[in-house]
Amino acid sequence: MIFLACAAASLHAGGAFAGPTAAPDNAQVYFIWPSDGAVIQNGKCWVRMGLRNMGVAPRGTDIANTGHHHLLIDTGLPGMGEPVPNDRSHLHFGAGETEARIELPPGRHTLQLLLGDKDHVPHQPPVYSKPITVTVR
Amino acid sequence: MSHAPAMRKLFAAAIALVLWSATFAVAAAPSDAYLYIGWPNDGQVLSAGKPFRIWFGLRNMGVAPKGVAFPNTGHHHLLIDTGLPSPGAEVPSDRNHLHFGAGETETTVELPPGRHTLQLLLGDERHISFDPQVVSKKITVTVR
Repeated sequence: MIFLACAAASLHAGGAFAGPTAAPDNAQVYFIWPSDGAVIQNGKCWVRMGLRNMGVAPRGTDIANTGHHHLLIDTGLPGMGEPVPNDRSHLHFGAGETEARIELPPGRHTLQLLLGDKDHVPHQPPVYSKPITVTVR
Repeated sequence: MSHAPAMRKLFAAAIALVLWSATFAVAAAPSDAYLYIGWPNDGQVLSAGKPFRIWFGLRNMGVAPKGVAFPNTGHHHLLIDTGLPSPGAEVPSDRNHLHFGAGETETTVELPPGRHTLQLLLGDERHISFDPQVVSKKITVTVR
């Protein structure tokens, strides 16, 4: 019984393997909210991340046709084939989050979503949204 | 020297262990977890013969496919024209209980004309609802 209890939690460590993770051709990541051109009062808003024809999985999860969201703020797409940087312009949602509360300073900002695989590396083909622009007043 | 007290202690320890594991059998969810149907709206009228999209909204928790044990995550179940399964029971898998065990965060359904109820229920990696249950408001849509 003790052995059973101890064996209850098992962590799955994905083995390192070279080459990008495949994504279905019709996979699509997009902003449910905000919409392109939205004006945000006081800079605080929920970002709702939409994903079609794929599923969401936390980082480290090695299941086909899944990935996790990254939100790129005021920056272009990072290099494909390497992990998405982790900084103020590249927010990671490695716990499988599908929405996030963000706060932006006044001005115009670009937002873009990029899906990453279990190792935060973009898929092949990469799954990213069109960049949108929001204005904070 | 009798072994009875030692056996009794062992038995008590075994019972305690069973009780302890039972309390962990139902996964805990953060108290601020919020599950909702982002679309359609409550009371929405939808066109018959046309599939419509349903958005699954989840705040303060994450999505993980079935079988993935990751803290504060679960996967969506869409309940159509049915009530909630009992807490702690596995969510049935049938036409009224759609499972999204691949981590899907939206789906497309087509319903026959009439009034229908839709409700989301989050399940853990074994399709068992959380404690407290993470469940959306039940909405009604009309297909005509």
